[in-house]
Amino acid sequence: MVEKFDTENGMASGTPAVTMTAVNKWFDDFHVLKDINLQVDDGEKVVVCGPSGSGKSTLIRCICKLEDHQRGTINVLGTELNDKVANIDEIRREVGMVFQQFNLFPHMTVLENCTLALTLVRKKSRRKAEAIAMQFLEKVRIPEQAVKYPGELSGGQQQRVAIARSLCMNPKILLFDEPTSALDPEMISEVLDVMVALAEEGMTMVCVTHEMGFARRVADRVIFMDEGEIVEQNTPQEFFDNPINERTHLFLSQILQH
Amino acid sequence: MTNTKTTYQLPPQISFSQRLKNSLFATPFDFVLTLICAALFALLIYWFIDWAFLSSIWRAEDEPLCKEASGACWSVIDARHRIIFFGLFPFEEHWRSTLACAVMIATIVASCVPWFWTAIRLSALWLIGFSIFYILMHGGLFGLSVITPERWGGLALTIFIFAAVSIIGMPLSILLALGRRSKLPVIAKLFGLFIDFFRSLPLLTILFTAAVITPFVLPGWLQGDKLYRVIFGFALFFAAYQAENIRAGLQAIPPGQDEAGLTLGLKYWHRVARIQLPQAFRNSLPAIVNQFVITFKETSIVTIVGFFEILASGSAAFGTGKWTVHYIEVYVFIGAIYFIFVFSLSRYGAYLERKLRVGHG
Ligand SMILES: Nc1ncnc2c1ncn2[C@@H]1O[C@H](COP(=O)(O)OP(=O)(O)OP(=O)(O)O)[C@@H](O)[C@H]1O
Ligand SMILES: [Mg+2]
Repeated sequence: MVEKFDTENGMASGTPAVTMTAVNKWFDDFHVLKDINLQVDDGEKVVVCGPSGSGKSTLIRCICKLEDHQRGTINVLGTELNDKVANIDEIRREVGMVFQQFNLFPHMTVLENCTLALTLVRKKSRRKAEAIAMQFLEKVRIPEQAVKYPGELSGGQQQRVAIARSLCMNPKILLFDEPTSALDPEMISEVLDVMVALAEEGMTMVCVTHEMGFARRVADRVIFMDEGEIVEQNTPQEFFDNPINERTHLFLSQILQH
Repeated sequence: MTNTKTTYQLPPQISFSQRLKNSLFATPFDFVLTLICAALFALLIYWFIDWAFLSSIWRAEDEPLCKEASGACWSVIDARHRIIFFGLFPFEEHWRSTLACAVMIATIVASCVPWFWTAIRLSALWLIGFSIFYILMHGGLFGLSVITPERWGGLALTIFIFAAVSIIGMPLSILLALGRRSKLPVIAKLFGLFIDFFRSLPLLTILFTAAVITPFVLPGWLQGDKLYRVIFGFALFFAAYQAENIRAGLQAIPPGQDEAGLTLGLKYWHRVARIQLPQAFRNSLPAIVNQFVITFKETSIVTIVGFFEILASGSAAFGTGKWTVHYIEVYVFIGAIYFIFVFSLSRYGAYLERKLRVGHG
């Protein structure tokens, strides 16, 4: 499994997975992202946290071009994100995204959710696609749910299917936008376990999450955002134990209260 | 889960007779009301059965007995049903119209079967269905004599107009709905204008324009037969309404669905065909089926521009001689035919709703 996530795409090792340089974004005249400079190396795991409305979702949605940025450059896997359609398609195929609300397709079975893009985008035969899908459903430990519809699964199971669906495309980078925030407490760990396993296999990950235990365990770097800016970034150890910025202090004291 | 023993309590069961009692006979007043309604209803049913079946005259030769009989005089149907079913279609060729009708109904029924619901299968089915229908009705091939559309009529014409309007209108309505939701404001505005224009005109105006006015405006080679112009105008009207139903269904899909498709690298038409439309159809199925039902009934409007669909043919059937007094029987008969079609359509809609709901768990 491990070699699946290595730099098999011929990208020179050492090329960063994501480079954002002086990125600015506005929603109408609301300045959401202010001069974001961020580099994510190949194989690196970055956790993004910050108060609600600070622009975390917008940041990672820019990386897979679900949002456009207005100024600055974003370079993903050596390709600059601009308005060329071919570029966007190529990037989206290599970057997976896991959403807070799962966004599984409700009218398809779990297996069909996973095979859809394999057959339409990767042009695999149906049999091949199903074999790949089953392999990843086993990886997230729900192969027995393959013929069910998403509505018949628990939230934790749905999120694991969503992760498997992304993995089927064999992405070089996986983005997570608060993958456990919509889950009941008892289901959070089953999803985090899958994410930890992925991290240990060397997947490049950018996670927006407030699961500090997860951050401590797998993150190479924690980034703190507030009001559209990256306020502070550091190793988890330093970040949690010796936060420098006043706002980081405040935020950490708030989320550690419970 | 497996080895914990739990005793489940069943919800308290209310028997059917108990429920009946609660809703119909709870108070003395309810009791009286229920009895009166039931009696009236039974009387109505009895009158109808007596009129339609018990005291009625059936055969064409028995028409003289109709004056004495208290029931329906079905002799008129026996004598004139060919006009009702075939309109002005030449008498010796009625078998062609019958066969064409059967083919068209079979095509409609087949396209209700989920197995046919891929673009290729549906198009193939309808191409074959329409070709056979056209060859049978129009002739000019395989030694069949040519019968031009002005002489088509009756049930075959009604079904043909309905099927053609649906099959042209449905893809058109999908395009219109997608166009109106375009991210480019100019496109969205244009499609919006088009849809609202056709929705704001009465169907009668559109059909009249298509039949009578377009010949003065369009060059000859673009005109086509009057019937096809009318069908095209009808299809535009249908599509404008159906587009709004589909758009409502599209609107109800959470934006995350399309975003999930985007991040998987799916192209626009794949996202539309595999993610958006299936969910949109589910969301607004009742309205979509309703539009088909309305369209079937509105086919009778083409009489105005000179086509003998089933209702107009019916009027012709009792229009002469001794039959003029028996118009009620003819209308009841035609009503029954409409009912069979429209009722099947709405039952099919209800079946689809049940079937599609399963997918949502
Ligand atoms: N499509 C949009 N149009 C206008 N404003 C938006 C849009 N999306 C987000 N915003 C605004 O941009 C800001 C940043 O939003 P974003 O979703 O990135 O925050 P977040 O850090 O992910 O917050 P949360 O923790 O609540 O998810 C918020 O103030 C939000 O109201
Ligand atoms: Mg967010």
